[in-house]
Amino acid sequence: MIDWSAFVVVALVSLFSAAALVSLYSLGLRLLTLEGRSTARAAAGYACFVVCALGVLYGIYLIVPGLHG
Amino acid sequence: MDLTLIVVLVIALALFFDFTNGFHDTANAMATPIATGAMKPKVAVTVAAVLNLVGAFLSTEVAKTVSGGIIREGDGGVQISPEMIFAGLIGAVVWNMITWLRGLPSSSSHALFGGLIGAAVVGAGVSSVDFSVVLSKVVLPALLAPLIAGLVGYTATRLAYTITRRRDDKSERGGFRYGQIFTSSLVALAHGTNDAQKTMGVITLTLIASGALGAGSGPPLWVVVVCAFAIALGTYTGGWRIIQTMGGGLTEVKPTQGFAAEASTTATVLASSHLGFALSTTQVASGSIIGAGLGRRGSKIQWSTAGKIVAAWFITLPASAAVGAVAALIATLGTPGLVVDAVVGVVVIGGIFLLSRRRPHEQGAAMEVDVAATSVLSRRRARRLEKRGRIDTPASGVEAPFVRLDEAAPTVAPRGTLSGGTRPDKEENR
Repeated sequence: MIDWSAFVVVALVSLFSAAALVSLYSLGLRLLTLEGRSTARAAAGYACFVVCALGVLYGIYLIVPGLHG
Repeated sequence: MDLTLIVVLVIALALFFDFTNGFHDTANAMATPIATGAMKPKVAVTVAAVLNLVGAFLSTEVAKTVSGGIIREGDGGVQISPEMIFAGLIGAVVWNMITWLRGLPSSSSHALFGGLIGAAVVGAGVSSVDFSVVLSKVVLPALLAPLIAGLVGYTATRLAYTITRRRDDKSERGGFRYGQIFTSSLVALAHGTNDAQKTMGVITLTLIASGALGAGSGPPLWVVVVCAFAIALGTYTGGWRIIQTMGGGLTEVKPTQGFAAEASTTATVLASSHLGFALSTTQVASGSIIGAGLGRRGSKIQWSTAGKIVAAWFITLPASAAVGAVAALIATLGTPGLVVDAVVGVVVIGGIFLLSRRRPHEQGAAMEVDVAATSVLSRRRARRLEKRGRIDTPASGVEAPFVRLDEAAPTVAPRGTLSGGTRPDKEENR
């Protein structure tokens, strides 16, 4: 029958990873488009995008079987 | 019995199935970026095709069984003959063509499972099908996938809108378009690694059954190459009907929603394939889009379209099983039966293709490219006009029929007349 524990794990992991990625990207956008932007804000904004990029790279790592055996 | 004829037929049909799989599933990755104008239609399908091609070469492991346990095959079970695979593929291909004609996103793997079940019931009796696996691998995931993806898509969309909410009426949510390019590319790559491999498995297992390959050997290079190109070509052809359904038929997708939906699809698909609970990409993608639609205040979901899509998911298995069963019945006549099957199959597929051409007013393939391209252009033009202060929102014309009756229609008022303050419908228009 159906593996409910695996289902719950998948649901939670999807929820948190999608929420984290979208929040970071939104935050990055927000920081970079605020009125009166400062260097610190811009740096924080770009840092958000860098973390998003790492998330995308992790996605590629998961997709390509050769990378994780 | 002529073994070489059947092997050739299976390979040809498997490649065509691979092709339909490609154009059926372009929409999963590329419907929302096309709808929001993140990528031009041609660029989007080209990117998806290249990533599918690359993905197909990256997938090293090929399934040990054709049906993934749905049919009791192998030791102590039934032997899936090339004839059964052939009949099953006919069922899958015909059902894929029918759903494409109707613009319905449905799972290609479920269609293949259905076709094989039909063929196995005719060829080896009802007992050859493991119905508990059907329930746990096909029926329940079809219920759960849109629920979980909808929840994830809704949460992501709400978060994105909350974080980027601004008091001054200026929105920079167009920036979500760039993010969409990455998330949708991930979906396309994942599709290439997963789905081309299914066809490679079918062809390899057929070659093993015919004795052309030793038991337990992997796919020969030429199988990998032709499967990769078949799925890439199918993706490039672009199932514009399905792209239209998912990009605009379910709900009007804004860049913020598109990004949130694609991020949810990517996260859910990757989690499900790596944590041991398989979900159909098509069903996840549809669920995410509905969730994203629910997440933006003022957007409307076309529930009748959603209902049709869900109905198609549940009909997929029995419908392709019925076609597979009939094809298997004809195939029991031997070589003449196979020829009849092949001819009828070609006629049906050709007929569906002609039917799709005869109703251009609905969604003609060539016209859709134009429509999609124009909608992108007009959005751009609208944005330019918006900057000059001529009109208020890019999509005001599109939005108009869906304005909520319980509110005064704010979208048609010129921007200058709106005082500051929060106005959800307006605020979340991008």
